[in-house]
Amino acid sequence: MSATSIRSRHPRLQLAARVGAGVVGGYVFAWGFIAAGMALMSKAGMEFHDAEFVASALGLLLWLAVLLGVVAGRRNPAWAWLGLLGGGALLAALGSFVQSTMA
Amino acid sequence: MPDALLHAATLLACVAGMGWLALAMDVHARQAWGRALAPGAARLLRVLGGTALVVGLLLALAADHASMAVLVWVMALAGAALAVAFALAWRPRWLRWLAPWIGVAVRTPAASAASSRRRSSGPA
Amino acid sequence: MFQNFRQAMAWLHTWFGLVLGFVLMAAFFFGALSVFDREIDRWALPATRFEPQPMPSFERVLRPAFERLQPDPALVEAMRPRVDGPMPERFDRIAYWSAYTTHRDPVLAIYAGWEVPGARDPDEQLYALGTIDPRDGSALRDDQLKIGSGFFYPMHYSLTVDWKNLGFWIVGLAAMAMLAALVSGVVMHRRLFRELFTFRPDRARLRSVLDLHNLTGVVALPFHFFFAFTGLLIFASTYYFPVGHTQLHDLHELHEKHEAAALGLPHGRSGVPAGLANVDAMVAEAQRRWEARGMAGDVGFLVLQHVGDANGYVSVYRAGTDRIALVGQGIHFKADTGELLREDPPATPAARVAEFLTGLHLQHFRHWLLRWLYVLGGLSGAACIATGFLFFVEKRKRQHAARGSQGARIVDALAVAAVTGMVLATLGILVANRVLPEDLAGRGDWERWAFWGTWLASLVHAAWRSAPVARGLPNPAWREQAWAIALLAVAAPVLNWITTGDHLLRTLGQGYWPVAGVDLSLLAAAMIAGSVAVRLGRKARAAAAAAALRETAAGQGEAVHA
Repeated sequence: MSATSIRSRHPRLQLAARVGAGVVGGYVFAWGFIAAGMALMSKAGMEFHDAEFVASALGLLLWLAVLLGVVAGRRNPAWAWLGLLGGGALLAALGSFVQSTMA
Repeated sequence: MPDALLHAATLLACVAGMGWLALAMDVHARQAWGRALAPGAARLLRVLGGTALVVGLLLALAADHASMAVLVWVMALAGAALAVAFALAWRPRWLRWLAPWIGVAVRTPAASAASSRRRSSGPA
Repeated sequence: MFQNFRQAMAWLHTWFGLVLGFVLMAAFFFGALSVFDREIDRWALPATRFEPQPMPSFERVLRPAFERLQPDPALVEAMRPRVDGPMPERFDRIAYWSAYTTHRDPVLAIYAGWEVPGARDPDEQLYALGTIDPRDGSALRDDQLKIGSGFFYPMHYSLTVDWKNLGFWIVGLAAMAMLAALVSGVVMHRRLFRELFTFRPDRARLRSVLDLHNLTGVVALPFHFFFAFTGLLIFASTYYFPVGHTQLHDLHELHEKHEAAALGLPHGRSGVPAGLANVDAMVAEAQRRWEARGMAGDVGFLVLQHVGDANGYVSVYRAGTDRIALVGQGIHFKADTGELLREDPPATPAARVAEFLTGLHLQHFRHWLLRWLYVLGGLSGAACIATGFLFFVEKRKRQHAARGSQGARIVDALAVAAVTGMVLATLGILVANRVLPEDLAGRGDWERWAFWGTWLASLVHAAWRSAPVARGLPNPAWREQAWAIALLAVAAPVLNWITTGDHLLRTLGQGYWPVAGVDLSLLAAAMIAGSVAVRLGRKARAAAAAAALRETAAGQGEAVHA
C-alpha cells in the first residue's frame, strides 16, 4: 500500500489522525446511529423516550468500541475518517427520513 | 431479622468468601501459612469461597428490594476484596482464622533463609 | 501502526489516562462527596440543621409559598429583547409549580415556571426557585451557596464551568476516556484474576504503586464502569447527543401530542381560566392508591401544570426511598375538579432499565450501607487514577533525569495538584464557609474563590518545590501538602464548633448525623493525611541520611586516594 511510506515518515501525525478519527468520527457515527435508532424504534411503536434511552445507551457503547477499534487499527486512518463521517451522515439522514414518514 | 443484621451478615459472608478464594491461591497461602496447600485443601477453600459469595447475595436479597440488593452485593464484593488484599499485605496471618484446620509450616532455618531470599529478589 | 492490540491498548490507556485523568479525579472525588451532598449542605448552612421533613401540605404551606414566587428581575430584563410587547409587572401565566423532596431533605426547594406573553419562541419560559422551611412555609435565604448539592455535586459532572456547557463536555469526554481506560486496562492486565488480591507495599515503589493501581481498578471495576457509563447516559439526551431536541425535534413534538391525546393529559393551555381544587385531597387519594397496590409511600415529587387554566392538572409521584427508581407511580388529577385523570401504568421494560440505570447513579434511596459503599467505590476510583499518575512519574523519573528532560517533573507537579491540591481546595471552601462573615455580600462567590484559590496555590507550591523530580527524587510538596491537609481538616470541625456551637459531643449526643458525620470524616481525613505525612517525612530523612553517608564515604575515598 502506498500509505506505508507516509506512515513511517510521520508516525505522530498518523497517531493523531487515528485518535481524531476515533473520537470525532466515532461521535458523528454514534450520533447517526442514535438518530436512526430512535426514528426506527419509534416507527416500530416504541415510546419516544424509551427509544431515546435505548438508542443512546447503545450509541455510547458503539462510540467506545469505535474508539478502541480505530486506535488499534492497522489501515490508513483516512479510511476510518471516511467511513465514520460518511456512515454517520447516512444514518442520520435515514433517521430524518423515517421521521418524515411519520404523521 | 433486622436489616442492619442482614447487612452485617452480607459483609461478613463476602469477606469470608473473598478470603477463602484468596487463600486457595498458592502465593497467598504461602503468605498466611508459609507453605502452599495440597490440591484438595485448595479446592475446598475455593468451594467455600464461592459458596460464601452466593450466600452473601442471598442475605442481601433478604434485606432489600432486588434492585438494591444486587448493588449492595457487588459493592460488598469490592470492599471485601480490598479488605482481604490489605490484610494479605500487612497482616497475612490474620487470614489463618478463616481456615483453622490448616496447619502452619514448621520453620526450619533453611526454609526461613529461602523465603527471605525470595522476598528480596527482583521484580515479579 | 501498533505491533498488536495489547500495545495499542497500552498506548491508549497511558495517554488518555494522563490527559483526562485530572478531570476524572475530580469527577470521582467530588462524586464520592456528592453521595452525602445534602449532609454537607447542613454543615455549611447551620440554619438548616434540623430533621428531614416529608412533603408538606399544599393548602397550608406550599400554596402561599408558590404564590410569593416571581422571576428574578435580572432574568426578566435578559429576556426582554426576545419578547414582542411589554413584559408584565407580575407573571401569572403559570406553566408549572413543582416541589421535590427526598428522605434526606430538611428544607424544600420549590420551582415555578411562567409563560411569557409575546415571547418569540413560545417554548421559552421564565423560572424561579425558592427554598422554604416545610414546617411553616417560611422562606429561607436563597443566596447562600449549598456547598454540597450546589457546588461539589455540579463540580463532579461539569467542573462548575457552565459557559456553553464546556464543563459538561470536558467531563463527558473524560468519562468516555475512563471507559476506554477500563477496557484497555483489562486487556493489558494479563493476570487479572491471579493478581486480584496482590498488593505488595514492601516492594520497590514502582511495583507497589502499580499493584495498588491494579487493585483499586479491578475490585471496583463494575462500579467504575457503570458510574462512568450511566453518568454519560444521564446527560446523553440533553447535552451529548441532543438528537430529540434538534434533528428529531418534530418526532418529539409528535410524541408529546400523541401521549397527551391518548392519556387524557392536556398538552397546552386552553386559555379558559379555572380554579384549583383541594390538592391535599388529591395527594391523600394518591397515597391511598399506592397503599392499595401494596406500595405505601411518601410523596417525592408534586407538580402542578398550567395553574389557573382549565387544562391544568396535578401530578403526584411516589418517592423511591425504598427502591432504585427516583420517583414513580405517578397519579394525575384534573386541577379544577380534583377528579382522577390517570394512574401511570407499570413501566415498560425499557423504562424499567432506564429507571434502574439512572437511579443507581443518582441514589435517592434510603440505604446507608450502600451509600458508604458508594463512597468507597468513588475513593477507589480516585485512588486508581492517582496511582496511575504516580506510576507514570515513577517509571519515567529516572529516565528523564538521565536525559535532562522535565517531563516527569511537570506531570508530578500536576499530580500533586490533582491529589493533595484537590483535597486542600475542598477543605479551603469549608474553612472559608465558617470563617467568612454571615452577612457578607456575595458570600457564595467568596467561598468559590477560596476553593479555586487554594487549588491554584497548591499547584504553584507543587511546581515551585518540584526541582528534585528532575533529578529522579520525590517532590517534597507531597509531604508538605499532606501536613496542610491534616491542619485544615482539624481546623474545619473546630471552626464549626466555634461558629455554631455544634461540637462533636453535642451532635453525637443528639444523634444529628449529618453534621457529626462530616466532622468525623474531616477528623479521619486529618489522621490519614497526618500519618502519610509522617511516613513521607521518615522516608525523606532516611534518603537524606543515606545520601550524606554516600558523600562522606566518597569524600574519605578521595582523601585516601589523594
